[in-house]
Amino acid sequence: MPSGDRRDGPDRLDRVRGAFAGLAAGDAAGWPAARHRSTLLAGWSRRLRRELDAFAEEHQVTTLPVPFALNQPVAPLAAGPSDDAEWLAWTALTIGEDRAEAFGRLAGRDDVRARISVWAALDNLAAGKRPPASGHDNPHHFDDAAAVRAVAFGAAGLDPLEDARVTNAEDGVLGAVAMARAVAALTDGAPMGDAVEAALGALPPDTAIGHAAREALAAARAAGSPFASVPALDAAVLDHVYSYGVAAAQTVPIALALADVAVSAATPGAGEFGGEEFGAEAFGAGVSAAACLAPVADSAPALAGALLGCAAGYDALPAAWRERVRTLAGCCLPELAGADLLDIAGRLA
Amino acid sequence: MTSVRDRARGCLLGLAAGDALGAPAENLAPEEIAARWGVLTEIERGGTDDTEYTIFAATVLLRHGHALTSEDVARAWREEIVARLDGPMRGAGFSELGTVEALRRGLRPPLTGRWHAHGWSDGLAMRAAPYGIFAAGDPDEAARLAETDGRVSHTGEGIFGGRAVAAAVAVAMTGASPAEVAAAALRAVPEDSWTARSLRAALDVAARTPRPLLGRTLHDAVVMAHYPWTDLAPEAVALAFAAYTAGGGEVEASVVIAANLGRDADTTAAVAGALAGAGRGEAAVPARWAERIGPVAGRCLPVVAGRDVRDVADEIVKGM
Repeated sequence: MPSGDRRDGPDRLDRVRGAFAGLAAGDAAGWPAARHRSTLLAGWSRRLRRELDAFAEEHQVTTLPVPFALNQPVAPLAAGPSDDAEWLAWTALTIGEDRAEAFGRLAGRDDVRARISVWAALDNLAAGKRPPASGHDNPHHFDDAAAVRAVAFGAAGLDPLEDARVTNAEDGVLGAVAMARAVAALTDGAPMGDAVEAALGALPPDTAIGHAAREALAAARAAGSPFASVPALDAAVLDHVYSYGVAAAQTVPIALALADVAVSAATPGAGEFGGEEFGAEAFGAGVSAAACLAPVADSAPALAGALLGCAAGYDALPAAWRERVRTLAGCCLPELAGADLLDIAGRLA
Repeated sequence: MTSVRDRARGCLLGLAAGDALGAPAENLAPEEIAARWGVLTEIERGGTDDTEYTIFAATVLLRHGHALTSEDVARAWREEIVARLDGPMRGAGFSELGTVEALRRGLRPPLTGRWHAHGWSDGLAMRAAPYGIFAAGDPDEAARLAETDGRVSHTGEGIFGGRAVAAAVAVAMTGASPAEVAAAALRAVPEDSWTARSLRAALDVAARTPRPLLGRTLHDAVVMAHYPWTDLAPEAVALAFAAYTAGGGEVEASVVIAANLGRDADTTAAVAGALAGAGRGEAAVPARWAERIGPVAGRCLPVVAGRDVRDVADEIVKGM
């Protein structure tokens, strides 16, 4: 797609905002968002939910408990951004700082909620281990915490490597580099196909993430649309063996594949690329499909949303989502409660 | 003079005894173990995956010897593990089922070991002792063979854990001191690795910490605070070597210390038992433990059902 087609498309600020709002909308769309946001309620209300889970198991009840408010404010349980949006915002706000120092300030705090890779890295930093050991000596070095943060680096046109190595290694770092490259390309106005190619270039085929990315793209392209891709991606990428669904080797390939197929399914003719209608359609289809993959619904929709939101631009996103994802909840980083994600994104453009 | 056959039998009997002793303490904290048993010293039930996967590894090794390739190991997994699975996979860890799923997907090593998230597990360390017996006195070769096997199911630190155990057993088979054995483990892994950092920290704690404080101090030094699973190779291997050196290389002391550290207690005690048993020979394995070790049930790996570690040890020695 010649870049000249994008003259009337979104400008850089709009694309950066689109990446942030898109990530937050995907974050909100996945079922784990309410779990994360429920941490704003009293601990006993979450204990009751865990007990209801045990009750359902014990009594063979298929009416499964969901996060609920009992004598608690209901606002935290409304659809809205959760962990990934907050960690992206934190990254944008600290992006000019030495990464080990920025993370070091979080070590020792008892009010932070973070992925296993981040907690392990904070413990490592507190024990005197510096990057890259802080990210390498880490049971979840492979997760996508750094890939989420890399959206900020891509939007700012910066290298995510130093940041990624604080909390991750190997596939976890490769996933961050791939996401940053794709977002950087999209922020510059490149078409999605080029952004996906740029990401693939960071993922060697003999790694799990590189192999999965190519398998996922082939599966999604063969399926032809995001929703049609859901069973194919489940088969191609997810093995359903491990207890946590945030491996970068799964979520980043799924996000790339769904972003790719969402755009190509929404733009049958090259000349139609870049319109607002395309953007909203591709964005909704790609994010929704990612949210259908339950094991990876914590972050695959967020990563897909970042790519598709960046391509479409903030103004093209559905108005209801644009408003709903602006205000952060503070469910992982309490100091971000009430912060305006759009304002934070704007500082990077 | 302890014979090679004595050491080989001591190694695998020590491994099987540690596996069995540690099994009920798996996933417990040292304080929970102390509350339940005081000190856990008596075998309560049979061994687990550690012994059965060790027998499987030895069997595949004996077919190919020094010419063993990762593709040989992958074929054995396909034909003797994957093909026999028609229901749940019993008694193994994520790395084993993850490998099975990768093989079912048609992947080949080393991608089979990279595809799943538990490439760092102690599943190679737990089955690496036969490589050390087979290449007794040659730690480089023992580590190379363990890595050849490990590429099927592991990557990175998981392979380092297997290399460390194989190399250390190879040196223990010569009757070397625990300090020399531990040094061989460190030489078998990159200096800039989690396994090396964890091993160094644990060996340091073991050398300077009074026994009553050993468990908690070791946990603070090498156990991940915010991670629920206990089968991290850098952690398990470090705990095993710390127990082995704190126990002075004696079989009973090394195995008991390891089992009472908790976490992946069956594997850490199995590794400590393999090292100590190789160093001290069959007679050094307490008789009350040895008589509990009979042919394995094949609960985890049906293909090895009925095999006895003593026979396996003899076969490895014959194949050397």
